[in-house]
Amino acid sequence: MKTDTEHLKRVSHWKFYIIGLLLSFVVILFLSLNLGYSPIPYDDILTTLLKHIPLLNTFVENVEISKTAEIIITQIRLPRVLCGALVGSALATAGVIYQGIFRNPMADPYVIGASTGATVGSALVLVLGVGLSFFGVNTLQIFAFVGSLITVIFVYNISRVGSRVPVTTLLLVGIAVSLFLNAIVTYLQTIASDRILHGLTFWIIGSLAPTENWDKVWSILPFIVTGFIVSYLYSRNLNILALGEEQAQHLGVETEKVKMILIVTGALLTAAAVSISGLIGFVGLIIPHLTRVLIGPDHRILLPTAAIVGASFLMFCDALSRVVMGSGEAPVGIITALSGAPFFVYLLRRKKKGYSV
Amino acid sequence: MVILNIDGIDCSYGSAKILDNVRFKVESGQFLGILGPNGSGKSTLIKSISRVLRPIKGTIFINESDIYKLKTLEVAKSLAVVPQDSPMTFDFTALEVVLMGRNPHLSKFGMESKEDLAIAKKSMQLTDTWHFADRPITELSGGERQRVIIARALTQEPKILLLDEPTNHLDICNQLEIMDLLKQLCKTKNLLIVGVFHDFNLAARYCDSLILLKDGKIVAVGEASQTLTSENVKKVFRVDAVVKKHPLTGSLYVTPISKPQNQKSRRTVVHIICGGGSGSSVMKLLADEGFTVTAGVLHLLDTDQETAQLLSITTVNEAPFSPITDEAHEANLKLAKKANVLVIAPTQFGAGNLRNLEVAQAALEKGVPTVILEDGPIEERDFSKGQAKKYLLKLKNEGAITIKSLTELLVFLNSIEEKTIQDKKGD
Repeated sequence: MKTDTEHLKRVSHWKFYIIGLLLSFVVILFLSLNLGYSPIPYDDILTTLLKHIPLLNTFVENVEISKTAEIIITQIRLPRVLCGALVGSALATAGVIYQGIFRNPMADPYVIGASTGATVGSALVLVLGVGLSFFGVNTLQIFAFVGSLITVIFVYNISRVGSRVPVTTLLLVGIAVSLFLNAIVTYLQTIASDRILHGLTFWIIGSLAPTENWDKVWSILPFIVTGFIVSYLYSRNLNILALGEEQAQHLGVETEKVKMILIVTGALLTAAAVSISGLIGFVGLIIPHLTRVLIGPDHRILLPTAAIVGASFLMFCDALSRVVMGSGEAPVGIITALSGAPFFVYLLRRKKKGYSV
Repeated sequence: MVILNIDGIDCSYGSAKILDNVRFKVESGQFLGILGPNGSGKSTLIKSISRVLRPIKGTIFINESDIYKLKTLEVAKSLAVVPQDSPMTFDFTALEVVLMGRNPHLSKFGMESKEDLAIAKKSMQLTDTWHFADRPITELSGGERQRVIIARALTQEPKILLLDEPTNHLDICNQLEIMDLLKQLCKTKNLLIVGVFHDFNLAARYCDSLILLKDGKIVAVGEASQTLTSENVKKVFRVDAVVKKHPLTGSLYVTPISKPQNQKSRRTVVHIICGGGSGSSVMKLLADEGFTVTAGVLHLLDTDQETAQLLSITTVNEAPFSPITDEAHEANLKLAKKANVLVIAPTQFGAGNLRNLEVAQAALEKGVPTVILEDGPIEERDFSKGQAKKYLLKLKNEGAITIKSLTELLVFLNSIEEKTIQDKKGD
C-alpha cells in the first residue's frame, strides 16, 4: 500500500520547506535593508554584510562603498530588521504555543491579552520612570513578562469550562481583560509627560522605529532563543494535546506541568517582543494559521516554520510601514492590524470542521 | 502477566462521593465489563485507573506498583485508554493520530522510526482504518474516528486496555467487529481489558466477568450468569427485565420492560383469560394504566405466565402441559367472580384450557361484564373440535362484547371504571 510512503514522504519534505522558507527570509531581509527613507543599492548591502562575516570578508576587501550607506545598514537598518525578525518569530511562536495548549485556533498573544498585559507592565515602567537595568535584564522587560504572565493565567482560568477552553469564552474574556488593561494604559497616557507620551503612543500602536540599535537586539535575543528551544522540546507534547488533556495524559504527557511551562514560555516570548516593539497585533494569529495550511499541524515542523514565516512577515510589514507614507512612517502595528483584523473575521466566518467556534 | 488491583478506592468530585470502597482484581487475558446506570461512577472508575482522577482513599496497583507513584510516561507504556469520544482541534491525519500512540516509547526528541510506523500500520489494519490513513481525522465520521482512536491505543502496545463506552458511536456491525477484535486481542495477546458498557447484551456476550455498579458501590461481581439476573438488573437500573439465554449466541440477553409512565391507581379489577403470549400486551397495558389485573389459569413457563410474574400480577397457575385441575379451576373461578371485568384474550383453546371458558361463563352469569378480544377467526385457534367456538358464541349471545383493539378496550374499561366509582359513591 502506498500510504506509509506518503507519510514518510511528507516528513522527508519538511527540510525542503525549511530551506525554501529560509531563502525567502533572506530575500525579504535584503528587500527590507534596501527600503527606507533613502534606498540603498543591493550590491552595497551585500558588500557591507559580507564585510562583517569572517572568512567571507576577504572577497570584498577591496570593494568601495560609501561610509553613510555602511553606517545606515550596520547601525540603523540591520538591527531594526533583525528586531523585526525576532519579534515576528517570537509572536508567531507564542501564537503556535497558545493555539496548541488552548486547543483553540483563535488564540494568539494579542487576542488573549498576553500582549496587552506586557504593555501595561512596560508602560508602568516608562511612565513611572523606574527603568533600571541589571545583569543585562532591565525592569521594563521584567514588568512586561510579569504583566503578560499574570494576564494569560487569569484569562485562561476565567475562560476554562471544566477541562475545555471554548473559543467564544476565551475570546470574550480576552477582550474584556484587554479593555480593562487598555483603560489602565490610557490612564497612564494621561498622566505621562509630553516627552514620554509620544513614544508611549507609538509604542501602544506597535512600532519597530525605536529598535534602530543593537542593544535592543541583544536585550531580547537570549529570551527569544530560550523560548524557541523550550517550545521545541515540547513540540510532540503539543501535538498530543490536540487530542485533549485527558488523552494526552493517557499517552504519557504530564499535562499540567507541560501547560504551565508552555504558558510561561509564551508569556516570555510575548513580553520580549512587546518590550522592544510595543503592541504589534495579529502576527501570532495569522502566521500559525498560514503555516498550518502550508505544512500541516505537526508542531515539530510547525514551530520552526512559523518562526521563519513570522520573521519574514514582520520584516515585510515593517518595510511597508517605512515606504507607504513617503517621508514619515506608519507604525508597523497599523499594518499588521489592517491585514490581521480582516483575517480574524475570515477565520470566525469559516467555521472549519473540528474547530468549535 | 499483569495484575490490576483496585484496592478499596473512594473517589469524589468536591464533596460528592462518586466511588465508595470499590475493590476488585483483574489479570492478563481477562475481559472485565462494568455496567451501571448514568451517574453510577463507571466513567469515574476509568478516570481513576487512568490517573486522571486521584482516589481520596485506597490504592490502585499494577502488579505491585501504586500507579499514582509511577511517572505518567511509565504508566502510559503499559496502560492505554479508549475514551467515549475524542474532540480534535487540528487537522492531523488518522495515521498521525495513531502514531501519537508511540509517544510513551519514544525518546524525548525521537522521531517515529520505521518500526513505529509498522506497529501503527498493523493496528490500523486490525481496526480497518488503514485505507483512510492519510485523511484528516476531523473529516472522519464518529465511528471511523473511534476506530482510529482504538488503533492509537493498540499502537501504545499496552498490557492493560481501558475502554469507556468504546462502541457508543459505532453502528451495530462496527460494534460487533470491534468487540470481536478486542476479545481476540484479549485472548491471543493476553491483554487485560476493563471496559465500561451501556449495553448489557454486548457486555454479557463479550466479557468474561461483569461488575454492576450502583451509586459508586459494587452490587454484583462475577460471570454474567451470576451477575446479570433480573433481580440485579432491577436493583441497579430500576427497570424490570427479562433475562434469558440467547438460543443462537448462547450468551445471556436482557430485555428491559419499559416502566409505566403514569401510574394512576384505578379501582377496576380486570381478570384475564389468556395463554401462549396472547395476553402479555393486554396485561402490560392494563398494569401500566393502573388497573388491578388478575389472570388464570396459566401454565408455568408459559410466556403469559412469565409476563404476569414480571408485572406482579396475581395468577392461578398449573403445572406445564397439564390439564386444569379442579383446585386451580376453583381458584380461578373465585378470582373471576371478584373482578369488575373479565377479558378473554385471543388465545388458542384446546382440551388443556377449555375450562377457562367455563369460568368466563360463570362470571358472566354472575353479572361480570365480559369482553372477548378478537384478532381473527376463532376457527384458526380452536383446537377443541369446535367446543371453544360454541362457548364463545354462547357468551356473545348472553351479553359478552366483542372488541378488536386495545384502544377500544381501554375506552370500555374507562367507562366501567366510572361506573365503579359512582357505584361506590352511591354505597
